[in-house]
Amino acid sequence: MSSEALARPLWRRLIGFNLLGGIVLGVAGFYFGWWLGHQIHAESLDFFGDTNQNDVALMLGYVFSVVGFLIGLGFARYPLARMLGKERTHTENEHGGSGRYFGLCTDHKVVGVQYLCGIGLFFFIGGLNAMLIRAELLQPSPQIFGAGNYLTLVGLHGTMMMGIMTSGVLGPFANYFVPLMIGARRMAFPRVEAITFWLLMAAGAILMTTLFFGGFPTGWTGYAPLNDQANFGFDSYIFFFALVGLSMMLLGLNMIATIITMRAPGLTWSRLPIFCWGAISTSILMVLAAPVLIAALLMVGFDRAVQTSFFLSSAGGSPYLFQNLFWFFGHPEVYVLALPGFGIILEILPVFARKPLWGYRIAVAGILGVALLSFFVWQHHLFVSGLNSSLRPFYMFSTEAISVPTGLVFLAGMATLWRAKIRYTVPMLFCLAWFFNFFIGGASGVFLSDVPSDVATHGSFFVMAHFHYTIMGGLIFAFFAAIYYWVPKMFGVMLSERLGKIHFWAMFIAFNSTFAPLFALGLMGQPRRVVTYPSHLEPLNIWVSVSAFVLGASMLVFLANVVYSLVFVRKPAPDNPWDSRSLEWQTPTPVPIENFERRPIIDTDPYDYGVPPVPLVPPGPAEAPAPG
Amino acid sequence: MSSIGGRVAAVAVAVVVVAALIGFYVANLTSSPPTVSAQSTTGNTVELTLKTEAAVGPQGGNPPWVSYLVKDDQGDWVHSTNFKVPAHSLVHVTVYQFDGESGLRNPFLSQVQGTVGDTMTVDGKLMGSIPPDEASHTFAVPQLNLIVPLPGVHEDAENQCEDGPCDLSQAHRTITFTIRTGEPGRYRWQCFVPCAAGFLAGFGGPMQTIGYMDGFLEVA
Repeated sequence: MSSEALARPLWRRLIGFNLLGGIVLGVAGFYFGWWLGHQIHAESLDFFGDTNQNDVALMLGYVFSVVGFLIGLGFARYPLARMLGKERTHTENEHGGSGRYFGLCTDHKVVGVQYLCGIGLFFFIGGLNAMLIRAELLQPSPQIFGAGNYLTLVGLHGTMMMGIMTSGVLGPFANYFVPLMIGARRMAFPRVEAITFWLLMAAGAILMTTLFFGGFPTGWTGYAPLNDQANFGFDSYIFFFALVGLSMMLLGLNMIATIITMRAPGLTWSRLPIFCWGAISTSILMVLAAPVLIAALLMVGFDRAVQTSFFLSSAGGSPYLFQNLFWFFGHPEVYVLALPGFGIILEILPVFARKPLWGYRIAVAGILGVALLSFFVWQHHLFVSGLNSSLRPFYMFSTEAISVPTGLVFLAGMATLWRAKIRYTVPMLFCLAWFFNFFIGGASGVFLSDVPSDVATHGSFFVMAHFHYTIMGGLIFAFFAAIYYWVPKMFGVMLSERLGKIHFWAMFIAFNSTFAPLFALGLMGQPRRVVTYPSHLEPLNIWVSVSAFVLGASMLVFLANVVYSLVFVRKPAPDNPWDSRSLEWQTPTPVPIENFERRPIIDTDPYDYGVPPVPLVPPGPAEAPAPG
Repeated sequence: MSSIGGRVAAVAVAVVVVAALIGFYVANLTSSPPTVSAQSTTGNTVELTLKTEAAVGPQGGNPPWVSYLVKDDQGDWVHSTNFKVPAHSLVHVTVYQFDGESGLRNPFLSQVQGTVGDTMTVDGKLMGSIPPDEASHTFAVPQLNLIVPLPGVHEDAENQCEDGPCDLSQAHRTITFTIRTGEPGRYRWQCFVPCAAGFLAGFGGPMQTIGYMDGFLEVA
């Protein structure tokens, strides 16, 4: 925003292409689509009072609301100007004050911050849903929400966490730091980068509107035939995941193009920071898996709105097909959540272990191996869905085989810690906890990949415990490690170490206290997505719920830390507070809009700790690099 | 806003706004249909008048769903399944049943249990059970051992009600029975006929939603 623009009164600044304009046009677009749908679907012309479900109207409402939202944000200006033959700058709103955070901005650092705040918002809504779920499960029979709303809560929690958090690391941290790590000025496609964020926010808002349309009973998987039987509220699920898929696909394409084409001179593939390997492998999964999800959801939308029968067995379709399409996306998506965590952990470990990353090539092979194998395991979700029994051994062994490349990542991490002089900072504590949690998640996953034990535990709380250990214990712990590690560069202030450690210990203990007993509950027969349970399971459920509330409270400690450190104390962060050798820490704080004064030339590895000379690291106030 | 006071105020406002939003969200999720009291008659006797409709229509948030309705003090039909009756009293229940026959999967539920005399009347005729295939719904409170099977409107009946609100001039069955209430408490009642048309095996949707085929009997 120019100084002239900043001089205008606030009300005048609010009018224009920004978030407010996006919301206004988004709401207007919804009503236009709703009206249009009723014109097309002539059976019911009454607004909001019709007795028939007019899915056409609701879906068109969502389509036009997203289009209006993006136009309001200013995404149509550039293509329209180019179509009219006018020259426009390639950048958008990169200069100026805080206003650029509330609209289209092509600065990758602004987009990274936008992602962090936006994803944080939906992460806390998802977490709130988890608290409500556990409140209902304090008693064996439904007392607070009723069975229908309970299922909606479970669906909202799962869908929001699995959808929004797919970009939980790549969105904020890869967008912000990959260009810095590879010595680039920007991402390959800055407008595409910006639109991925705003599509995700539109998706989150659409998902929340399900509450106005009766919710949805399907959980996050949205299986047929439930997805056809579900009422209005399921349409929001379709649009949410389709938009998330679109956002993922574009984010992945942009990331791949950036890392391949925009690396600084000297930054060979063997010198690429391990976090970038995590980002590019995740991006490949996103690009290949997300289109399948989008196509499947389009087919579900047609089944619901215009009476096709792709997944309706009563009309010749196949519900089993939906399961296949969903999990062809869904299982790679699990690794979309896990792989960035691998990258973060291996990126941070050497910094605080003050040792080079052990077995860099082994770690890269592990990450790429997991990415490759993740496309060959999806049918282990269908062991009890009528899968041809002769296919079971293949998927059992392919799933179990994925533990081999995962083991390589563990090996690299563990060997990096071997005989290291570890600095137990908050990011490092989260990294160490990741090893503990992810190991339990991985080991319990063997029981679910193994056919006989999967048949016994499928659909139970055992499964829920397993994937919370891998996704929350893996991704979310890595996510917090990244926050504590990179916030000083992103915001120019240090987070409180003391509050950070309270947050860590409360979260780590409460997390394990919450999810470890779920293995037992699952083995004792408590099913997922069912609001009632046998009364003899009540004491353990109470234990889990109380632990979950403590886990929720630990998030409040984190929020308190953010407010305390960023709003009140504002302790300035040095340029390189952790004495890292990675390129992003060699920039000034705050990072200039151009990132680097001149393009850097890379002639060292990013993890050569203790290997003199260390030309990139200026002497800092913290501990000097340890010898040897 | 650079002063400490300004920052504290900004944080306080943010906390209040977030708390209000959370409160609104939870209130929305916990909202329940109103509790409608039975109409008192003489002494310890009250009247509870209900009807069932195959599709509740615009009276409910899910128009195509099968549902119960209850008559309030003013004689108006209210879309609710939460009923309040006095403790230690006789409750005369009348159900106008507009839905068709769908059949019981468990014939045991075709026997009237837990009412006074373990009987009911169907269109004025005293009965202790119904043919299982003719059942449309049940009014059952497991904690009180109460099960009343509700026969459906015959398939060939004329002037059937497809969408609510249904009128007594349309085809229906009239079921009456009396229950004797005991200690105060909140008792779950539900329909045990899988009657959720369009849902897998007839379960889900209205079968599990308070306000449709599921509710509470509040004995106070």
